[in-house]
Amino acid sequence: MRYAYFPGCKIPHHLPEYGDSVRSVCTALGIELVPVEFSCCGWPIRHENAVASTYSAVRNFAVVAQEGLPIMTPCKCCFGNLKHALARMNQDARIAAEVGNLLGKEGLRLPEKVEVFHLLTVLDKDVGAQKLKEHVRTPLSGLHVACHYGCHALRPGNVTEFDDPLAPTVFERILTPTGAAMVDWDLRLECCGHPLRGRDDTISDALMRKKLENAREAGAHVVATGCTYCQMQFEQERNRLGESAEQKQTPKAILFTRLLEAALGLKSLPA
Amino acid sequence: MADILLLRRTARTSWYRWAMHTLIFIGFTGLLVFHALDDIISYPFISGYESTLDPWQWLRNLFGGMALAGVCLAVARRLGNRQLKAISRPQDWLLLGIVGGIMLSGFLLEATKIISPNVFDRMTESYFLPEEETDVPALQAYWSARNGVIFSPPASTDADLVAKGEELSANNCNYCHSDTASAFLSRALSTAISPAAQTLNTTHADEYFWYLHIVLALLALALMPYGKFLHPVATPANLAARGGSHTATPPLASAAARKLGLEACTRCGECSLHCSVAPAHAAIGNANILPSEKLVSLRKYADDGLSDHDADAFAEGSRICTECLRCTEICPSGINLQELWLSSKESLKQRELDGPNTTIRQCNALQWAEVLSAQGKSRFEQIKGNGLADKAESFWGCVQCTTCTSVCPVVAVSEAPAKDLDLTPQQIMNLLRMGLKDQTLAARMVWSCTTCYKCQEHCPQNIQVADILFELRQIATERLKERKLTACPLPAATSGRFSDTTRDIQGQGSDSEGGKA
Repeated sequence: MRYAYFPGCKIPHHLPEYGDSVRSVCTALGIELVPVEFSCCGWPIRHENAVASTYSAVRNFAVVAQEGLPIMTPCKCCFGNLKHALARMNQDARIAAEVGNLLGKEGLRLPEKVEVFHLLTVLDKDVGAQKLKEHVRTPLSGLHVACHYGCHALRPGNVTEFDDPLAPTVFERILTPTGAAMVDWDLRLECCGHPLRGRDDTISDALMRKKLENAREAGAHVVATGCTYCQMQFEQERNRLGESAEQKQTPKAILFTRLLEAALGLKSLPA
Repeated sequence: MADILLLRRTARTSWYRWAMHTLIFIGFTGLLVFHALDDIISYPFISGYESTLDPWQWLRNLFGGMALAGVCLAVARRLGNRQLKAISRPQDWLLLGIVGGIMLSGFLLEATKIISPNVFDRMTESYFLPEEETDVPALQAYWSARNGVIFSPPASTDADLVAKGEELSANNCNYCHSDTASAFLSRALSTAISPAAQTLNTTHADEYFWYLHIVLALLALALMPYGKFLHPVATPANLAARGGSHTATPPLASAAARKLGLEACTRCGECSLHCSVAPAHAAIGNANILPSEKLVSLRKYADDGLSDHDADAFAEGSRICTECLRCTEICPSGINLQELWLSSKESLKQRELDGPNTTIRQCNALQWAEVLSAQGKSRFEQIKGNGLADKAESFWGCVQCTTCTSVCPVVAVSEAPAKDLDLTPQQIMNLLRMGLKDQTLAARMVWSCTTCYKCQEHCPQNIQVADILFELRQIATERLKERKLTACPLPAATSGRFSDTTRDIQGQGSDSEGGKA
């Protein structure tokens, strides 16, 4: 179980806690993460330039081919764009040609086989619920968790091939062994609002508030995230707003790797 | 101190760069302290100091050789790396040229002096009192045989005369002169140029080399306050101010620290070689995407401001930066680039210079439709051919079932979608079906789509709704960029964003509040 670790751009400065907990959980579960100097996944530039976005993603595949390892990322937007870029290379001959040309200038080429996984999938297929349960030292009994899926891993389902896009279960499968109770909530597959951050903050805030309120109404104590951007939205952006009395009651977001760390007895659960 | 004197931060990313930089740094510093400033440092503090005595003579060669080797490595690096070569500026080459020139002219000066009978004569006239007629020929014979002076006609090689010359030299010259052989590089160079010895001697080449050496050194001094020439001062100052780390809070006011950071850049290009959005630079070509280049624009932006076009390029580079921290972690000068990007991005945003997402919201969708359709398709669209939004088959299957609109979370949080979003996803598909692409390009729905792909996932006809919205945004961005539109050319509509188009499509009018989003 060796993977080229693709943390994405936001973890080092904006969410180092995610990187730390991913490494600690993977080490505990025997998943080896190999550091590779990846570049941006291309998601942030997809809004303005399709070729630049696709090339950014595809260049990473050429780089990792030299390592001969599959890619594992804990960020759903990175995962989604890497998968999207692969689909574009198959569907759009013009983009494929331009990207091939840019790769050629660097002496790189798109490998025939590319494997990209989100950390949830890696835990599901390589470790599994049974083994995870065996590793649990401090069960999170009594904690009600609302799993927040993250759009770009989930959809479009035919491109990302992450889980059933309309009724996914992988997130719950990974967190159930921790002993926490999984909450069923209406908006679990909705957008966190982060893609509009800085573009349209009003709608971004509204989406965030609506989701958190829905999770609260469903009885969640915490919202579990498995994406850098989702966590930044539900934690940092929410804190920036200043909490109203109403917001104080909505569940805090917590990275799913932090929940696993707590369950595995590696680190205590944040207050 | 390890960061400053041992260049530890440089060693983390590349041993080649560390070796190159250390050679120049130690060599240049040694020469500066013991040679260039010998009146101030060496003479007063080192008893019996003479620049032509060992160890000073061979040390000077060692230091000079180190600096020259470092310069050669630097030139090879800049020429050998395609990316680095592309971002090298005249300033980088000028600095390497001047430092290399100072070293080379120094060696040439010393080499021409070693072989020069003129210099020999000048020294004997000043410091040697011959007692016998054969004293001068003996000294010539010895200095020719032992120290490489090339006389014309050649000095005698008679062994007795050389032996006598050796004695005379020991009594008269050795107080101030070591063997020229200990100046191992200068002496080797003098052997190499010996075929031209006579010409060099008659033209007094050593004097020209002296002037060249001095002029280059003065030029370096004069250029010291400017750009890259300041980095030997600014970089250690920045490292010292930040305690060697970008994370340490500098004790200076943050504006001063930023300024120091800007000046501390050596333009070594290391940040750009490792920049995580460098692939976007390869695809788009805007140099402002690379941190070392963006820093140049940032300096201008902070000092005198940028022209509209340059500001737009700077904004694009700033926008594409993902704030991944890599340049900051890598920077051998310890510049807190991350902080510079975060603050300059904020400044661009406040001044509404941060790009199409802001520009497009300065007018309403109808106004933009007028502007954009009057100018026709962009070159980008023409080259690219028909995209999803241009091809009828992309949305031919759309039966206006409104599924896309009803699952859209943006529509769901909007109390009045017609007011807030201009168009719903389904209406956009309908306009595209009618070939009215320009009417959709600035619709707020297009720019405020979260790209969650729910519309696309749920579409019963498999229409790539979200991909089409993405594409519309890319097309509008290209058109604005190509036409250098960094602000809406029309006065902002007082009636708000809600265009007549929207009303026509929806069959209903709406009063609106207006202005920018």
